[in-house]
Order: sequence, then structure tokens, then C-alpha cells
Amino acid sequence: MKNDIFFRKLQSSFFFLVMLVLSLMVFLPLICILYYVISRGIKAINLDFFTQIPSHVGDSGGGVLNAIMGSFYMVFLSIIIAVPWGLSAGIFLYDAPDDSRFAYLLRLSVDIIQSIPSIVIGIVAYVWFVMPMQKFSALSGSFALAIMMLPMIVRSTEETLRLIPKTLKEASLALGVPHYTTLFKIMIPSGVSGILTGGALSIGRVVGETAPLIFTAFGSPYLVHNILKPMDALPLLIYNCAMSPYESWHTLAWGASLILIFFTLCINLLIKIIVKKWEVVL
Amino acid sequence: MSNKILDIKNLNAFYQNHQILHDVTLNFFSNKATAIMGPSGCGKTTFIRCINRMHELDPKAKVTGEIILHNQNTLDMDSILVRRKIGMVFQRANPFPTMSIYDNVLAGYKLNGIKKSRDEKDEIVQDSLEKAGLWHEVKDFLHRKGTLLSGGQQQRLCIARSLAMKTEILLLDEPTSALDPYATANIEELIEELKKDVTIIIVTHNMSQAARVTDYTAFLYEGKLIEFGETEKLFTVPKHKMTEEYLAGRFG
Ligand SMILES: Nc1ncnc2c1ncn2[C@@H]1O[C@H](COP(=O)(O)OP(=O)(O)O)[C@@H](O)[C@H]1O
Ligand SMILES: [Mg+2]
Repeated sequence: MKNDIFFRKLQSSFFFLVMLVLSLMVFLPLICILYYVISRGIKAINLDFFTQIPSHVGDSGGGVLNAIMGSFYMVFLSIIIAVPWGLSAGIFLYDAPDDSRFAYLLRLSVDIIQSIPSIVIGIVAYVWFVMPMQKFSALSGSFALAIMMLPMIVRSTEETLRLIPKTLKEASLALGVPHYTTLFKIMIPSGVSGILTGGALSIGRVVGETAPLIFTAFGSPYLVHNILKPMDALPLLIYNCAMSPYESWHTLAWGASLILIFFTLCINLLIKIIVKKWEVVL
Repeated sequence: MSNKILDIKNLNAFYQNHQILHDVTLNFFSNKATAIMGPSGCGKTTFIRCINRMHELDPKAKVTGEIILHNQNTLDMDSILVRRKIGMVFQRANPFPTMSIYDNVLAGYKLNGIKKSRDEKDEIVQDSLEKAGLWHEVKDFLHRKGTLLSGGQQQRLCIARSLAMKTEILLLDEPTSALDPYATANIEELIEELKKDVTIIIVTHNMSQAARVTDYTAFLYEGKLIEFGETEKLFTVPKHKMTEEYLAGRFG
């Protein structure tokens, strides 16, 4: 009897230990990545890094201003495309009757888009935009990114609105407020933190994407401000520089990786701030 | 008897093929309070939602019959106009969470794009909050969020929000069922006061509440109007056996 209890205690400590070790190992990849990227990337960070374009092949020094600006332009443009588009679809889905077949198909499509590999979206954007325009452009890259952002925005909009108590909608309608006014002046403002969070998450999802840009924005070693021209982006630059045989470009790639990681951290922080600042107490 | 304000004739309500209300016919009188009573599921909520056309939010709902307000059948009117004349207060207080107390009172104007001067607004807010018995409690922090108030205060804020629209009739669906006894007593006292300005139709499960605050009582059972009359008479000498049993607490 005593033995039995001892054995069971041993068994449970054993399982506890296994779980502890495996949980600690979750930190491992993150720590390794951060260690690598920071220790290598930090060397690249200086004023030139933010103000210069990449040096000529083989020369040392240079910076990634072209990629920073390119990422900024393309992400900004994709937000402008995806937010009104996704917001409308999300609101439409929320507002659709429960038995609407069209809404069912729309939800299904959104889920499918979400699971399409980003490289495929890049190829589709190539066929849609690059081929007809006969050139690579930041605009086509932004479309590819916008398509990737879409599902998250649609879903988070719809789900946020669904979480708002129906009684709020009824309170507004009972005051003789028309349906759409109620939707736009009561329901959406009440869900603003959830909707913004969805938007921020979707930015985080696309900012580090290389695949959709390879066939669309293509990349460029110059500082470009024209969205109809090929443009660089941080993940593209990382991809191109890391593939090159030059040590100085490798350094740039590490530096750019560090910035991207820093940027994603900022987005996570931004989400925390949004939730805190805009949360509506229902 | 006093003036009829609302005349309900042969009201039938359905959800798809399921009939909820059967041929309900009764009158409501100006500046009186009428209780709608009956066991759970008998159709009380459905009944008062028909009165301000809230039943239409469910596309499966259908209504036949007449609800006459000032010689007009509200069922043929624009639902938005009906709802501005007939306000509603719900079981759970639902102030708009993005708005201050001040803006909550004015919500009907703001959301409907009706412009008012600063003075008019201040006057509407004070007047409505006074009628709702909330003015003295909140007058010093009108710009705080309405959702920060206590449950009973929130419910009175919702009443003020309805009154601000100069509604003629106020529908209350079990307005005190989520409140503590003290807040409940507050609302009950308020109803007595409100009768000066509006006609009250209140759904309640609480018999003593009905007896205390209402002039008339309608007793519904399985979607049929069993008995309607002055509250005092209905409670002391019910005509119908079913009413008597319900009042004695034998069912419901
Ligand atoms: N949206 C709806 N769809 C279908 N049936 C409903 C709906 N709302 C209420 N009912 C049914 O109508 C009947 C009356 O409900 P209700 O008016 O809420 O009763 P009460 O308020 O008296 O408790 C119930 O049987 C209920 O199941
Ligand atoms: Mg009810």
C-alpha cells in the first residue's frame, strides 16, 4: 500500500518533469533566433544603415533605406486596399441573415483564402497585375499583400461585432434609429478595439512576407517612390542579400532581420495599447 | 374610463407557422400604467414588441390585426416613426457604452441626425433625467460613461433616453428583474411619476409590483388574453378561474 502511493508520486513527478522540460524547450527556438539575429544584426545597425541604399556588389557599408521605405509604402498601400474591402465584407457578414447562402459561401471563401500558401497568392497577383501591366510594381505587391490581409480583417470584424450584445442594437432601433445608422454609429464604434486589433494583426502577418513579393514588387537596389515601379521590401532584401555570396550584404540581411523582428514586436505592443485605450466596457 | 390611446384589435403573432398570440383585443388608456402578466412563455414580450414593431427584427415573425394609435394603424406606418412615439426599456439596462450619460440621453436625436442647440440639449438632458429621477445623482458628472453607473441607475438612464424623444407610450419589459430590491423600489416610485407624461405598459412577473404601480392589468395565458381590467378589481375579484389560480401562485 505504502509502496503503491510512493510509486504514484514518483510517476506524477516524472510527468511533471517531462512537461516542464518540454515547456522550457518552447523558449529555445525563440532564444536562439533572438540571439542570432541580435548578435549579428546589431553590427549592421548604424546611421548609414537607415539612410543609405545597399552598397555596390562587394563593397562594404551601405544601408537598407530602400527596403524600409518600400516596406512602408507597400504595407501602407495594402492597408488602404484591404481595410475598406475587408471591413465592408465583415460588416456585411455580420448583418446577413443566418440562413443566407451567399454569406455562407463568402465565409467559406474567406477561410479558403486564409489557407492559400502566400507563394500562390504571389503568382496569382503576377497573373492579374504584372502580366497586364507588363512590369513588376509595388502596386501589384501591395495587392498581393492586401489579399493576404483580407481574411483576418473580414473575420475579426465579423466576430467582434457578433460579440457585442444584441440588446445594444435593439436599444438603438427602439429609439427609431434606422438599421444602417445603428450599425455604423452604435455597433461599429462599440467594436472598434477588436476591429483595430484585427487590422494590426493582419499588418503583422504580411510585413514579413517574401513569397508574394517575389513575382510582384520584385525588389530594387534603388530608393524608389513610384508605386508603379519595382520596389524593395525588407523581407525581399533579406532574401536577396542572404542568397548573395558577399559578406557585407549578409550583414545587411541580418540587420534587416533585426528590424523586422523589432517591427513585429512593435505591432504586438500596439495591439496591447489599442485594446487598453479603445476597449469599450459593455 | 379615461381616454384610449392605443386600441389593439384581433392581434395575432406568429413565428413562422407557430402562432404565439391569438386574437388579442384590448385598449390602453392615456397616462395610466397597465401591467401585462402571465406565466413565462405566454407571449408577453412578443406582445409588447409588436406594439413598437420590434418583432420585425426577426424576419420569421408575422403579425396580423390592428394596433391603432391616433386613428392610425401602427402596423401600416413607418416602423421608425412608430418607435419614436413608442419607446421601449428592456429587461437588461443597455446604455450605449461609447457614450457619456449626457450623450446617452440625447442618443435618439444624435443618431437620427436631429440638430439641437446647446441650450435645447441641456434642457432636454436635465428634463429627461429629472423625469427619470436620476438628475440629482448624476448632474455633476454628466460626461462620464453611462456604463459606469449602477444597474438601477443605468435602467433609469435608459428610461431618460426614451423620454428624451417625447415618447407618448413607454413599454417596459420586466425592467426590474435584474435589479436589487432597493433599485426596484426606485423604479416603481418612478413609474407613478412618469404617468403624468406618458402611458406605461409594463411586463412584470412580480404580482405585488403590478398591484402597487399599475391601474390596469392584462392577464395572458398561452398567447390568449384571459382577463383585462382595473388592477384592483382583477386582483381582488378575478372573473376568470385561471386568473385566480395564477394570482394564488398555483402556476407560472
Ligand atoms: N424569435 C423567436 N422565434 C421563435 N419563437 C419565439 C421567438 N421569440 C419567442 N418565441 C416563442 O414565443 C413564445 C412567447 O415568448 P415570449 O413572448 O418571449 O414570452 P414571455 O415574454 O411571456 O416569457 C415562446 O413559446 C417562445 O418560445
Ligand atoms: Mg419575456
